[in-house]
Amino acid sequence: MAASMRLLVRRAIRLSHKNITLTAAGAAARSDCCRGSLVCRCFSDEAEDRSTHFGFETVPETEKAKRVYKVFENVAQKYDIMNDAMSLGIHRMWKDTLLHVMHPQPGAQLLDVAGGTGDISFRFLDYIRSQEERQKRRVARSSQTPSWRDISNNYSTQDEPRESRAVVCDINKEMLKVGKQKADSLGVSAGLSWVVGDAEELPFDDDQFDIYTIAFGIRNVTHIDQALQEALRVLKPGGRFMCLEFSKVNNPILSRIYDAYSFQMIPVIGEVIAGDWKSYQYLVESIRKFPNQEEFKGMIEDAGFYCVKYYNLTGGVVALHSGFKL
Amino acid sequence: MFKNVLSRLVTETVRSRRYVPNGPVIQRLIPASGPVRTFTDRKGEAQPQFDASLLDVLVCPLSKKPLRYDAETNELINEELGIAYPILDGIPNMIPQEARLIQKDSAETPTH
Repeated sequence: MAASMRLLVRRAIRLSHKNITLTAAGAAARSDCCRGSLVCRCFSDEAEDRSTHFGFETVPETEKAKRVYKVFENVAQKYDIMNDAMSLGIHRMWKDTLLHVMHPQPGAQLLDVAGGTGDISFRFLDYIRSQEERQKRRVARSSQTPSWRDISNNYSTQDEPRESRAVVCDINKEMLKVGKQKADSLGVSAGLSWVVGDAEELPFDDDQFDIYTIAFGIRNVTHIDQALQEALRVLKPGGRFMCLEFSKVNNPILSRIYDAYSFQMIPVIGEVIAGDWKSYQYLVESIRKFPNQEEFKGMIEDAGFYCVKYYNLTGGVVALHSGFKL
Repeated sequence: MFKNVLSRLVTETVRSRRYVPNGPVIQRLIPASGPVRTFTDRKGEAQPQFDASLLDVLVCPLSKKPLRYDAETNELINEELGIAYPILDGIPNMIPQEARLIQKDSAETPTH
């Protein structure tokens, strides 16, 4: 009996050896954010399954998608409130900046991946509408005193050959449900579509969209390079890829304040408002695991985009990356 | 100051949550052959119709081939691979694992 126990113990040690090394890597990562990722990577190569990071934890790749899904399923109802509370309303400025840099023209087709509650798409449709009104006003001003016949002719030829459209694609049904409810209550429905889809395997044909956006979603994707490949595929030639994501703060003082706020305030706010500490702990940790501005720019260039540049917003808390398919 | 922000956020969400779909459940009113106009009926339909204009851009994520909208089962069907993607609340679910296999006459749902 002692021999069989010894065999069992030995097998248990062999099995747990892999887990221990992985959790050791995880612990190392927790104490030393940037360098921990290298430790995680060499241990994960030894493991049989490919593993990736879920916040500061190391999980098998197949697990990550499921856990991310659960996180967003839990936070979906309170997502918008939490965004306002955590960022003190600044997230609205970030999204408005995205739209201003995008500067979409009437007739543009937008694909908003990980669009969830639809913030970007609503802003897109508003922007287009105000652009159209501005164009109409400009035309009216330039043709100041025509006859009523000329005016009526102008109206008939002014129809857009193509209506602008925004497609919101998200892997999570709950987030889309919340977004659809928001759209219905705001009365926005024309040109807005909702699809459940995986960013790594988009259900869209090649060369379809003028603009592809992914706002605060790409760090939750398991294979970021695959998502970038898909983005390149569905964009038309000349199409623009735009990504808003939390990034590295370079200023050391701001970085310390930001870290303290992230790790101490945000999970607390998450617990108070949404009743979910762990999801917001994941959120804060996943921000630290995401590559910095230059690295991500390199990844976008590797996927095949040209003229890749990034804009730092709020001192580097958020970075807006942009690339073109040429 | 935080309390004011909180109260304002709460009232905004209460206002946005006040939309309640009322009216009878009208399903499969419009035949698949006719033009499907979904967004004209905003209220009064608990089951919103699927917008056929999405079919221009939607393809099967696995084979990238166009799909056929089946109004009876409210699904998007890929004939080649024999799979059907469900549509819930007017939102098509294009995740491959959630697609239903159509095997001749019997239908098997793959476990997710």
